[in-house]
Amino acid sequence: MNKWLKIDLTTKEIKDFTIPEETLRKYLGGKGIAVYFLWKHAKKLEEKGIDLKELDALSPVNILIFATGPATGTKSPNSGRHHVMALKSPFTGSIGSGNTGGKWGAKLKFTGYDGVIITGKAEKPVYLSIIDGKAELHDAEKIWGKNSVETSEWLRNEHNQSKAGVSCIGPGGENLVPMAVIMNEEHRAAGRTGLGAVMGSKNFKAIIVEGNEKPKIAKPEEFEAKIKEHVEKLKENGVTGQGLPTYGTAVLVNIVNQSGLFPTNNWQKGVDADAEKISGETLTEKHLIGKNPCWGCVVACGRKTKVDSGKYKIDYTEGPEYESIWALGATTGINDMGAVIKANDNCDIYGIDPISTGSTIAAAMELYEKGKIPDEDIKGLDLKFGNADTVVELSRMTAFREGLGYWIGEGSKKLCEHYGAPDLSMQVKGLEMPAYDPRGAKGIGLSYATANIGGCHVTGYTIAAEILGDVDRFTTEGKASLTITFQDFTCVVNSAVNCLFLTFALGLDEYVEIIGPVTGWDVTAEELLKTGERITNLERMIINKFGITGKDDTLPKRLLEEKMPEGPSEGQTVDLETMKQEYYKLRGWVDGIPTAEKIKELGLD
Amino acid sequence: MKLHIKVFASLRQKYPDINDLNPLTIDIQKGTKIVDIIKLLDFTTDEVHLILLNGIKASIDTSIEENESILSLFPPIGGG
Repeated sequence: MNKWLKIDLTTKEIKDFTIPEETLRKYLGGKGIAVYFLWKHAKKLEEKGIDLKELDALSPVNILIFATGPATGTKSPNSGRHHVMALKSPFTGSIGSGNTGGKWGAKLKFTGYDGVIITGKAEKPVYLSIIDGKAELHDAEKIWGKNSVETSEWLRNEHNQSKAGVSCIGPGGENLVPMAVIMNEEHRAAGRTGLGAVMGSKNFKAIIVEGNEKPKIAKPEEFEAKIKEHVEKLKENGVTGQGLPTYGTAVLVNIVNQSGLFPTNNWQKGVDADAEKISGETLTEKHLIGKNPCWGCVVACGRKTKVDSGKYKIDYTEGPEYESIWALGATTGINDMGAVIKANDNCDIYGIDPISTGSTIAAAMELYEKGKIPDEDIKGLDLKFGNADTVVELSRMTAFREGLGYWIGEGSKKLCEHYGAPDLSMQVKGLEMPAYDPRGAKGIGLSYATANIGGCHVTGYTIAAEILGDVDRFTTEGKASLTITFQDFTCVVNSAVNCLFLTFALGLDEYVEIIGPVTGWDVTAEELLKTGERITNLERMIINKFGITGKDDTLPKRLLEEKMPEGPSEGQTVDLETMKQEYYKLRGWVDGIPTAEKIKELGLD
Repeated sequence: MKLHIKVFASLRQKYPDINDLNPLTIDIQKGTKIVDIIKLLDFTTDEVHLILLNGIKASIDTSIEENESILSLFPPIGGG
């Protein structure tokens, strides 16, 4: 299967195209092929005389790509995911990128398409249906204004496809909130960098997908045999066979907190005395009503949850994940799991990023604590750390741009600049960092600092080695090569496209056993890792065009200069510069820019 | 001397009431090895995958030297 769909919303032109096999092999699929498309688009805009540094991410010339890869929709485990990218993020000004679970990726594959490229801007709201191989644009006036759950239900009813995959924006995306997400299957999000606002700027509400075309496997017998082995490995592994299925990702709350790197009260501390109350164990004991695995998943970390009573009562929702619990809980000083579940549900149904939402509310709380936000600006909200009602209310107000919610939606960087205290914003390249303080695990600091999209944990999850594995978490030695390996391997995973959690049990050799039989290519582990490196570098070459260089590969001053005040990571700061220079040397970059030799070596010249 | 023990995730199936806010406190001899505590709690060394002594990674062979130490025990876990 090699069929892609390109839709120009301005002209309503819909066309299919294929990609040369040598290009596919060079970029694999998913994120890799999306980065390749974005690079080509960037060059085209430059040829037209458009200054990419000044490019408005919400203008019709920005493009949005929904991509699957060779693993997606096959019998290889955990292959229901997809990757979404935009040339420019309206939230950060860097590249737009988000990876999401659910079933939409597999369902898109079953329509006969590998991916969809959206360009231009519709005159009035539209949505796209791709059902049994036929792509059509429809009027979306009736669903404009509906939240992600209502939109998904309406579309499945309208098309009489009760099990179809629906990817859509909620009010957050429609209102062009810079941190808006694209939701699918109601509670799964392409969550970072404001992709939902790009979708909203195009008057593009949703894509509904359904079909019966199964992905073609070049060597089916070899594939089946390897897949059986992979499933066994996943079931036998303690993390994928037991930890994640039983407690979900929230099982991390206690280990990260016990290790003293659980950012609390806007990263002023690394230990939350009440973390137990918002832990995976508490979620399981008091709120879990079932599991909702992604398509083809043998792990099932997805949680079906409820809040039985009280002002945050919810009969059914999903999640929250570890990162959301932290953002809407610990870093805002909240220890009420019901409130965290409610705020997370608001983020899901209204379509905004829970990590950036929670982290920006936390920044607002510290601004208030330090007397930087006047009372007249908060209109009756209690902005003290620990006020659960405020977090729940702001998670709604942000999607609708109401009151202080306007500034929360702009993110912590702009919020803190607006109130004259930029150092209180805990972000990298404008993207709020997730739930691990690098003062307690130095590699994740380098990973955040050098991530092309900004403060993100899933572009190079060194926590797997530093906290969950045997690597010394406090040393800076060896962290450059560790980060590079994680970043490049993650590019392979996100281009395959399947689930990063597989990598707790499966390594590059197993990815060879997936990619090889599916494509028929005689790939090696070295080739795959080189592909990952190529994708990282091409993505870096794009952001260099936006003016993003070594000066932006940094961390908030608090992490570089303020010693962790207490707990097991007490006294620690991050010596980023040492790690960064080693990283650049190993990468073949100078000041955050790939050298001509590196570009040539990777075939990117 | 005193040792405060906390168990997490599936290890709580055996000790449902022991957690971060309600540790099990026992008296031990200075120099007791963590493996002996694991045996005392009736866990196998295979069940306990991650060990933190006062928040720092430790092994089953680590000796407990400080009074009022906190021992945190985890099965294999991951996420993100």
